[in-house]
Amino acid sequence: MSIHQISMVLDLNKCLGCQTCTMACKKLWTDGDGMDYMYWNNVETRPGQGYPRNWDKIGGGFENGRLRPSDIPTKEDYGQTFEYNYSERLFEGGLQAMPHQEVRNTPNWDEDVGSLMLGENYYFYLPRICNHCTNPACLAACPRNAIYKREEDGIVLVDQERCEGYRYCMRACPYKKIYFNELLGKAQKCIFCYPRIEKGEVNACAKQCPGRLRFVGYLDDPNSAVHKLVHVYKVALGLFPEKGTGPNVFYVPPFNPPRKGNYGKSILEDPRMPIDYLVYLFGEQVTDVIRRLEGELQKAQNGGSSEVLQLLIGRDASVRYQIPKREELIHIQGAKKA
Amino acid sequence: MKSVALVALWCAASGVLARAELHTIPVTPASAEGALDPSSPMWKTATPVSLGLQRTPLLYPTDQPAALDITSVQVQLLRASGHVWVRLEWQDKSRNSAELPEAKRAWQGGHLVAQSEATDRFSDACAVMLPATTGASEVFPALQMGDAAHPVQIYFWDATRGTAVMEAKGRETTHRTGKKFPSQSVWKEGKWMVTLELPEFAAGTPLAVALWNGDQQDRDGRKYFSVWYKTQ
Ligand code: SF4
Ligand code: SF4
Repeated sequence: MSIHQISMVLDLNKCLGCQTCTMACKKLWTDGDGMDYMYWNNVETRPGQGYPRNWDKIGGGFENGRLRPSDIPTKEDYGQTFEYNYSERLFEGGLQAMPHQEVRNTPNWDEDVGSLMLGENYYFYLPRICNHCTNPACLAACPRNAIYKREEDGIVLVDQERCEGYRYCMRACPYKKIYFNELLGKAQKCIFCYPRIEKGEVNACAKQCPGRLRFVGYLDDPNSAVHKLVHVYKVALGLFPEKGTGPNVFYVPPFNPPRKGNYGKSILEDPRMPIDYLVYLFGEQVTDVIRRLEGELQKAQNGGSSEVLQLLIGRDASVRYQIPKREELIHIQGAKKA
Repeated sequence: MKSVALVALWCAASGVLARAELHTIPVTPASAEGALDPSSPMWKTATPVSLGLQRTPLLYPTDQPAALDITSVQVQLLRASGHVWVRLEWQDKSRNSAELPEAKRAWQGGHLVAQSEATDRFSDACAVMLPATTGASEVFPALQMGDAAHPVQIYFWDATRGTAVMEAKGRETTHRTGKKFPSQSVWKEGKWMVTLELPEFAAGTPLAVALWNGDQQDRDGRKYFSVWYKTQ
């Protein structure tokens, strides 16, 4: 366990599904050779199969303190990377721009195929990065001790020198957030933009997010937004808590208004999103969280003010991010760190 | 997360086997020319010895059990001044190797990214283990990558990534030295034939072999292994 833990809270009510975060990450970290299929940050439509396909059902994580078996996702599970016949379409009289190959899966397949559920339309976007877990299954599974969790901020990294590409970590991670660069023979994953964090700069995905839904700071810093959302207001939950890794990325669950404009009724009584599905993703506590958020909403609608909702608006960067520079960190975190 | 009991059992078992082991592998003098080619007629002069193989026990609770698909490996040794060539031959009905484009760039810039074609395939591989200090010896280092008092050197060949010299002094201490060594390989009709060019070592030096079958997701300690043999 690390002494301090950096963390991200994402308010799912605000995500546009624009994939700006995905591209910010891709351009910064995963546009090198062998990384074509990797999206350290991905945004998937829920309900849906996710990225890689059915990652939530493949396996991994812990059961009774032991690692659970899992397969390794295939390249197609992650989604194909294909080119289009642009020159044919543009210069040779082709009728339509088409991918060069039959497309069977993409990183957000559900968004691409869609489906019509008459009167029952609902969906939300789930942006995902590595959870920089408190008890990382990836780390526990690595026989090379190539994966380590930094004491000063809890960021989980793969030592590229020590890694031999055995891929035990890929199987162990229940979130399937470790990728294999076949050309280098190395496992690679989200680094929580640690070179930026060390300079007091927020992660690229958060910085670029037009929805302004990401909050970043130290979970153990009582003045941080993440600390307040997770521990004080208790409105943010980790994904699949039962997988046993202790994720440090938290989500404010979607609490869309009731269906059919049925205001006055509780969201829990007349949910647009089946509550079962939210329980599946975030555990039983999600109903309490929605009740709490609903209470805050009512407070505001009745002319009062809600500290939680004000914080969730996240007006500017100083509200959303509390990332001290390394030097300052020593002061804030006290002697333990120094 | 490692199965300590299984590993202990394995140590005990391999210890017994090592003591019971009487086989030696003859080393035939040869000319350096052409010895690296596994199809060279020169290899007809080297007496083949068949080494029985076992599979390591499952090291991680998440591992799928693996069958003993490969029961033996044939070993031949040729010596000329300065070198010993080891030729390994084993049955493997599936060839697991890939030709990977070279990874040149850590960022895209103006070029099209070379793709990772697969995430879930593993390579066939083999390795020869010798004590770090070669020479006639009655003591065999621990089979599990040697031990603190008896370090080992490993000549590792991977069907996809080529060769690497490694060192170890016990389980989980294996590291690459950064050195490579010459090798050649042929896969034909369900058989791998691999020759490795090692620095010359004296008669009586112990030698052990390990194989990895990519088809069985072998890598790391998930592998086939022989006990120690003595070279003549
Ligand atoms: S999300 Fe997966 S890769 Fe990231 S720390 Fe947790 S177990 Fe490891
Ligand atoms: S950039 Fe923000 S709004 Fe856009 S997909 Fe990512 S998290 Fe959602």
